[in-house]
Amino acid sequence: MNRVRNFKAVLWGITGLAAAVAVTRFWFGLGSVTNLSDATPWGLWIGFDVVSGVALAAGGFVITAVVYILKRKEFYPIVRPAVLTAFLGYLAVIVGLIFDLGLPWNIWQPLFHWQYHSALFEVAMCVMFYTMVLFLEFVPIPLDEAGILIKVRNFLVKLRLPLVILGIMLSTLHQSSLGSLFLLTNYRLHPLWYTPILPILFFISAMGLGLMMVTFESLLTSYLYRRQAEIHLLSKLGKTASLVLAIYLILRFGDLALAGKLRLLVSGDWESYLFMAEVLITFIIPLVLLSLPAMRNSLKGLWACSLMVVIGTVFNRVNVSGFAMQSTVGYYLPSWTEVVISAGVVAAAALAFLFILEKCTIWECRPIDPESALEIIPHFDRFSDTSLGEPTVAGKVKFSLIFIIMAAAGFTLLSGSKVRSEGVVPSPVERARGGDTLFIDGNRNYYGVIFNHSKHKIDNGGDSSCVLCHHMNLPFDKNSPCYICHSDMYLQADALKHDWHASPAGGKLACVDCHLSGRERTALTAKKCQECHKDIFPPGAAITVAEYQAVSYTDAMHGLCIDCHKVKAVEMEGKANICRCPSCHKPGNTPSAALAEGVKSFHSKLNWVVLPAPGKQ
Amino acid sequence: MSAAILTDVTKCIGCAECVNACKTANNQAIDIPRRWQQSDGLSAKNWTSILSTEDGHFIRKQCRHCLEPACAAACPVGALHKTPEGAVIYNSSICLGCRYCIMSCPYGIPRYDWQQPVPYVRKCILCYPRLQEGRQPACTEACPTGATIFGDRDELLKEAHLRLQQNPGKYILRVWGEREIGGSSVLYISDVDLSILSYNREFEEKAIPENAAPAMISVPFVFLGMGALMTGLHLFTLRKNRIEKEKRAGEGRANE
Repeated sequence: MNRVRNFKAVLWGITGLAAAVAVTRFWFGLGSVTNLSDATPWGLWIGFDVVSGVALAAGGFVITAVVYILKRKEFYPIVRPAVLTAFLGYLAVIVGLIFDLGLPWNIWQPLFHWQYHSALFEVAMCVMFYTMVLFLEFVPIPLDEAGILIKVRNFLVKLRLPLVILGIMLSTLHQSSLGSLFLLTNYRLHPLWYTPILPILFFISAMGLGLMMVTFESLLTSYLYRRQAEIHLLSKLGKTASLVLAIYLILRFGDLALAGKLRLLVSGDWESYLFMAEVLITFIIPLVLLSLPAMRNSLKGLWACSLMVVIGTVFNRVNVSGFAMQSTVGYYLPSWTEVVISAGVVAAAALAFLFILEKCTIWECRPIDPESALEIIPHFDRFSDTSLGEPTVAGKVKFSLIFIIMAAAGFTLLSGSKVRSEGVVPSPVERARGGDTLFIDGNRNYYGVIFNHSKHKIDNGGDSSCVLCHHMNLPFDKNSPCYICHSDMYLQADALKHDWHASPAGGKLACVDCHLSGRERTALTAKKCQECHKDIFPPGAAITVAEYQAVSYTDAMHGLCIDCHKVKAVEMEGKANICRCPSCHKPGNTPSAALAEGVKSFHSKLNWVVLPAPGKQ
Repeated sequence: MSAAILTDVTKCIGCAECVNACKTANNQAIDIPRRWQQSDGLSAKNWTSILSTEDGHFIRKQCRHCLEPACAAACPVGALHKTPEGAVIYNSSICLGCRYCIMSCPYGIPRYDWQQPVPYVRKCILCYPRLQEGRQPACTEACPTGATIFGDRDELLKEAHLRLQQNPGKYILRVWGEREIGGSSVLYISDVDLSILSYNREFEEKAIPENAAPAMISVPFVFLGMGALMTGLHLFTLRKNRIEKEKRAGEGRANE
């Protein structure tokens, strides 16, 4: 039974790591753990956890339809695993949504604000109701042997047929409405994927995927519990799936041909290769393999086909909701934390599946629970060489340990500054260039200001005007440059250099040299700089320094210049515009023509957009 | 009256007074560049921005307040909706944070508070509280050159066409926002191409919600149709199985 135990250990580890990421996501916001942006507001969590997750759980409605509507009784052995997979799958979708939604506590709002025109409203309502239907379909299973609740069980068994029909109705709606979601993105989704029949394509591929997901899950659990898989049933499912895949391919390529989009296939751009890869993995290769009886009757063939269809359909959903979506700038790749959350949700659902598999009659005979199999001799853990306690609890101790260790590892990995940065990337400031005419351009992006020092000095009253701007110098220095203290473009900086003062290079000061004994050691109660460095504040400086945190470079420059310019704009004749942005940040405001190119590239990169020369129409 | 804004690109001097006025009127602090922002200067705190061109044109970007907004059609709870006054506004108390509005906007306008534990969708709301007081939006009020003006949509359209007629050769003969994707309440006239304001594709006249309308209309029919089909199939297989059973029983008796 080592297969099951090792598999569970891995699942617990992933869940532990995901738990750490989950805490971070709710504490610091979506931006702290995802690579989502205003250009790609939907990423892996929507593409995989929701859009693919719902499709992966489609086995429930397909198999119940086969067994209870078409009355193919031979498939009865796989109906319970299929219902359980669907139920847990939908729960996983909802849990995934809670991580992805910005305001998950409002998840119930669609119940009270009906929006018939919104496909997402449609999906939300159907998912809620279908999860309830699946719950009612599932409940009789654990109640099989319940003494008191047997009446509830019998009642629900009587209700089964209406529930199955309702489940199919709801599934048809939301499996296709997931495709309708993307009908609104006709100016963003690549034409190879965008088609008015997206809802129909989504529904049909969900049926194909549902069949192959049931196959995959049956093969996997049979492997884990060393049990004979129901190959004769699975190969029949494979045959049906090949039919579904064929219908899908005809519709998809027929639609492309009718819309005259087939030439896009040979256009040679990135999307055309993406399309070919997707169609080959998901539909064409499995279709060919499944139509060969030798392949669909063999364990290996079924493994290969089900894996390809499962991975491929997920690929298709992620393409539609992400990779094939064209945005104005930038690209999106999921961060490791996004991958961990997605994997963690799947791992938790798999653990729940295995738990229920061992506790209830999902198969005709219950698999032996590896933990309840009493081992008489207490044994030592093979990796840590320690005893994990009594044999009956050894497994649980091991899983808990792995969970906690992985969660701790997760928190360690997430303790970096990126999580707390609120999306601001540190941008160190460099010295302004030039002599008397300065080019002030702290982060060297050439979007700066040309500052004429002598003109400002003369206009403001000669030598006496220095202290209007210069307010603090390094010790033994007369005019320290701004960037020494205001060392980041957008972030506050530490002007004191606390640790440097304690280091040998900085004089190796003891704590009590600044924090006088008997007082609390805070910035407020410490000695002021000028008590040791007598000359750092020029006499009469207009700006007084209260604490030793230097504001960002942009705040320092704007604060210094604009405040004064606003006063001058009122005082001086015909200079009303000098407090406005373009009076200093002039387009083409660069010291030389060579830098003009830099301005252009900056404009296109960061803050402003450069248009091509006016088009003739 | 249907509130609208007309921006004349040829009159804009890029002074960014509208941006500052917008910040003051809507209590938004100065924003700094963040990892998830786009290059157009809009962000959760910048609801309007000025794009500049190398040949000295300035183009103001803001929400277009479409007549048939894709964002409002997308919203599963109606948190974003078009008011009778013409503004597309946001109700943060029922928003789920699904960000489908950001996905569906053809102009890429709505922005998100990615750094907040309680994030909201942010975009220009045409100063809706001011409209209700009978005042004009802060941006048009602040504009020193009259490059961006406020008024009734029909009158502004007339004004725009008048300017196109009276200044032959000055403008591109087109009013942006008049008809494409159903029309919008924010109109532009310009002497440069304004496709930069969207995803750089030429828009059709068909409004975006109309793409999803056939699918959404067929929802109840598909729902009930599927129910009827399944019930029918159930009855059919029931009957078929019974006939087969009787047949088998008959054969069995015949064999005896």
